[in-house]
Amino acid sequence: MKKKILILGGGQSALYAAREIRRNDEEASITILGEEKQLPYERPPLSKDYLLNKKNEEDLVFNNSKILDDKKIFYINTNIEKVDFNSKTLVSNNQKEYSYDILLIATGSENNKIKLDNNLEDEIHYLRNLEEAKIIKKKIENKNNIVIIGGGFIGLEIASSLSQLNKKVTLIEIGNQLMGRIIPKPIADLVKDTHEAAGNKIILNKQILQISKYNENYKILLSDNSELEADFIIAGIGSKPSVSLFENTDLKLDNGILTNEFCETSIKDVYAAGDVSNFYHPLYKQYIRLESYQHAQNHGICAGKNISGLKIEYTSIPWMWSDQFNLNLQLTGICENFDEIIERGKDIENGIIYFFLKDKSIKGACGLGVAGKVGRDIRITTKLAEKNVIVDKRILGDESQKLNKLISK
Amino acid sequence: MAEENWIEVGSTDSIEEEDLIRFDHGDKTFCVYRLTDGFYATDGYCTHEVVHLEDGLVMDDEIECPMHQGVFNIKSGEALSPPACEDLKTYPVKVDNDKIYIKID
Ligand SMILES: Cc1cc2nc3c(=O)[nH]c(=O)nc-3n(C[C@H](O)[C@H](O)[C@H](O)COP(=O)(O)OP(=O)(O)OC[C@H]3O[C@@H](n4cnc5c(N)ncnc54)[C@H](O)[C@@H]3O)c2cc1C
Ligand code: FES
Repeated sequence: MKKKILILGGGQSALYAAREIRRNDEEASITILGEEKQLPYERPPLSKDYLLNKKNEEDLVFNNSKILDDKKIFYINTNIEKVDFNSKTLVSNNQKEYSYDILLIATGSENNKIKLDNNLEDEIHYLRNLEEAKIIKKKIENKNNIVIIGGGFIGLEIASSLSQLNKKVTLIEIGNQLMGRIIPKPIADLVKDTHEAAGNKIILNKQILQISKYNENYKILLSDNSELEADFIIAGIGSKPSVSLFENTDLKLDNGILTNEFCETSIKDVYAAGDVSNFYHPLYKQYIRLESYQHAQNHGICAGKNISGLKIEYTSIPWMWSDQFNLNLQLTGICENFDEIIERGKDIENGIIYFFLKDKSIKGACGLGVAGKVGRDIRITTKLAEKNVIVDKRILGDESQKLNKLISK
Repeated sequence: MAEENWIEVGSTDSIEEEDLIRFDHGDKTFCVYRLTDGFYATDGYCTHEVVHLEDGLVMDDEIECPMHQGVFNIKSGEALSPPACEDLKTYPVKVDNDKIYIKID
């Protein structure tokens, strides 16, 4: 029987799931319902090459998006407002109903917003999608004193791009280091140094108390009572899974949609993938929620396989990158639960990596280097973490020895 | 005359098996690979962004970019995994008297 499959959310996970379902099932009817006008596109360049005018809108659309036409996968541009899991229907904001045999939820995540007690909330900009990126790009053309609230990856990437566009940038971070505690402090400090050397001002350990406006400029009051001025404000203060649609339903939620290792949710015939899913990872034996390009792709593919009836566990080792100025930061595996850290490399020209070990085997690593310098070793770490290999620590810590020899065939 | 386009890269033992080296010639840069069944050459830079593949990881017939893990087939240049989506240019390679040559057009 021809299955009717609906994919809610038109991002990266949705696209890869659709492609995978079609690979395994030529008959199924596959429809993606997405609220964005564009066909699925890549988000990473939004804060980098798109802002820098090195990539345009067309460059962002996934090459794979052309399979939508070829493979008879429908993309409907609509906003879904209601879900009824009992009758297996979704309802759009213009009251159109869509029914399914199998539903994949891939609604991604949304930015946390700053709460203010005046009417300036709408004047703070956020970056999640192409529409927002377009607006920021247009509006900053004649702005030159930009404040970024939040020193996470997205805030820092925007700060790097704006600096390269010769804007004056001040970034405020509430914590005592950039990018959160998961990043080794020495790496966070090197990133800070790089921003500062390029002219960006980085303020740590401070909160925003108040934002007010006079003429066309903003005054930002910080927790130490100091004041900053800005003509444009962008905030990147973290994100949360897009689950508001499901809040009063039976779908089990906890920091996203809970899914097992087969991308199945608590409701039969309903799957979830990508940023929105808090999934059980069989290797780590814990639930994990990730916001990364590689995960969105691989989790979508895994959901597609399981929807097609292949029972495939999701065991992918987490991996993500952030590009700022000429630097490339990479993070792989799990870097929170360790009993030993080993350092490799001394400078960012050749790359510095921190390996996190538990019971002598590698669990994860974080590296920073000039573009391309840490990737190979981080990739090898991923392979070692996958197999839980006990490694020779002297080789790990000695940058003159290639790590290739640690991966036996 | 075609002979002139064959440029000497170095000796065959300058590349370990399942590995690669960078080779610069004029204003061009290449990667030269040694796979289990012979030597191959491609453009040096990834087609996604300007990052040299010399720091990438060779796995079987594939080279993985060290920046965002885009993957290319070394023999055909085909882009196999995003974010790389544009194929990589490949070049003919020959070995003569333990020396590697690539043909640059
Ligand atoms: C600015 C930016 C830069 C990034 N840079 C990097 C990077 O350098 N490296 C990295 O590894 N990762 C990066 N990421 C993260 C990566 O892009 C995401 O993890 C990935 O896009 C998640 O894919 P997804 O399919 O789960 O969700 P998304 O791509 O967010 O797609 C979800 C889609 O669902 C739609 N949707 C939601 N609700 C509804 C509804 N009710 N009806 C219809 N449609 C709906 C949304 O509008 C959206 O289009 C970045 C993200 C951003 C925003
Ligand atoms: S630069 Fe090679 S994949 Fe991005």
